[in-house]
Amino acid sequence: MSDVLTYPEVTQWAVPFFIAAILIELAWIVIKGRGGRYETRDALTSLIMGAGNVASSILLGFIAYGFFMALWAATPLDLGTSVWIVALCFVLDDLRYYWVHRFGHRIRWVWASHVNHHSSQHYNLTTALRQTWTGTFTFMMVVRAPLILLGFHPAMVLFCGGLNLIYQFWIHTEAIARMPRWFEAVMNTPSHHRVHHGRNPRYLDANYAGVFIIWDKIFGTFVPELKQEKVDYGLVRNLGTFNPVRVAFHEWLGIFRDVLQPGLSWRERLMYAVAPPGWSHDDTRDTSEQIKRKHLLKHPEDKGTPGFTELP
Amino acid sequence: MPLEILLPLVIFGIAGIAVLLHQLGLSAPTKFEDEAAAEAAWSREFPEDKATHVRLCRNKKAALIETPQGKGIVWAIGADTTARYLTGARIVPTSTGLRIDLPDVTAPHIALALKENEAAAWIKHLKEPA
Repeated sequence: MSDVLTYPEVTQWAVPFFIAAILIELAWIVIKGRGGRYETRDALTSLIMGAGNVASSILLGFIAYGFFMALWAATPLDLGTSVWIVALCFVLDDLRYYWVHRFGHRIRWVWASHVNHHSSQHYNLTTALRQTWTGTFTFMMVVRAPLILLGFHPAMVLFCGGLNLIYQFWIHTEAIARMPRWFEAVMNTPSHHRVHHGRNPRYLDANYAGVFIIWDKIFGTFVPELKQEKVDYGLVRNLGTFNPVRVAFHEWLGIFRDVLQPGLSWRERLMYAVAPPGWSHDDTRDTSEQIKRKHLLKHPEDKGTPGFTELP
Repeated sequence: MPLEILLPLVIFGIAGIAVLLHQLGLSAPTKFEDEAAAEAAWSREFPEDKATHVRLCRNKKAALIETPQGKGIVWAIGADTTARYLTGARIVPTSTGLRIDLPDVTAPHIALALKENEAAAWIKHLKEPA
């Protein structure tokens, strides 16, 4: 069994490409006068979040890697390192990404880490880099355990995860309207991912895909971008700060404040940590499902249309 | 990538992009065209709580909102807007207007640039019962 296997740190090597692509997108927007918006402090916050994410990976990455290596030592399986195995690993890791991402929107403990990625009211290539500093604390590394136990080397799994994140960089743009039809059918695209960043009731909790949009189509979470409904980017309740520390930790503080409030049962305290974002013991807040229901009360004509098909 | 390359790349990359954006004039905060725009921005955050009165400040970067549920504020955050209720807010006069401190980690301070008489009027209005 091969213990020493190394792949390039692709997300770090991609940094010059990220900077160049941001400059190209910005030039396009400024010259053409369309294709998105930039604002200095918003972009600066996103970029600092990205840098913090790299720093956090360097400082805390050993926790996940140690866990993966322990699993690797325990498994009797080793699928090797052929190109086909790397390709299979990439596809299965993308399926893993879909579920981690879905958990990230449906479990508040995981949302606390992911929320920062949705906290910009802009949608440009800097938004792609607005990444978490606290991913390690969600314990979502356990979702990768089956891949390693199946015989994919941890270094390969992490390499595929890095490629997945690099793929997702270019889809954070308004400069590209639609890709060719066959591509839109299979791959995650700017159009599909714009929907994912929408705060419109129709677009909440949709399009969790990383690379292949087929996962959303298989698991019933796909919503197409509709021409008649422009995506409104950001959070249901938008932040009033650009402070990266607040952006990184605000939902964690919210969880602790809610969990520690007096007079709650143990179940209610647990629910504040693991129920979908917006859950409250006294129904003073709305989950995405409640937001959709309230929207349908005002707009019954939307019933059964994309984004509202699952609601009775 | 070696840290001695990654670190300067990240630092100079971020700083360069920020300076470029500022030089391109992309740092100016948004303004509400009129009361209706402020009301629309409020409704974007609180679609169920209809504004019954809107008081737009003279520089058009913030507005006080009255609703049956209480008083709130909508303000420019960069090129965009957000809104909050003023429950538990502390209003502090400053040399340039008012600072509103909210018990909210996602919007802890709002700095409002108001002329002297405008600031006094806002304080008076904020003290009136909703």
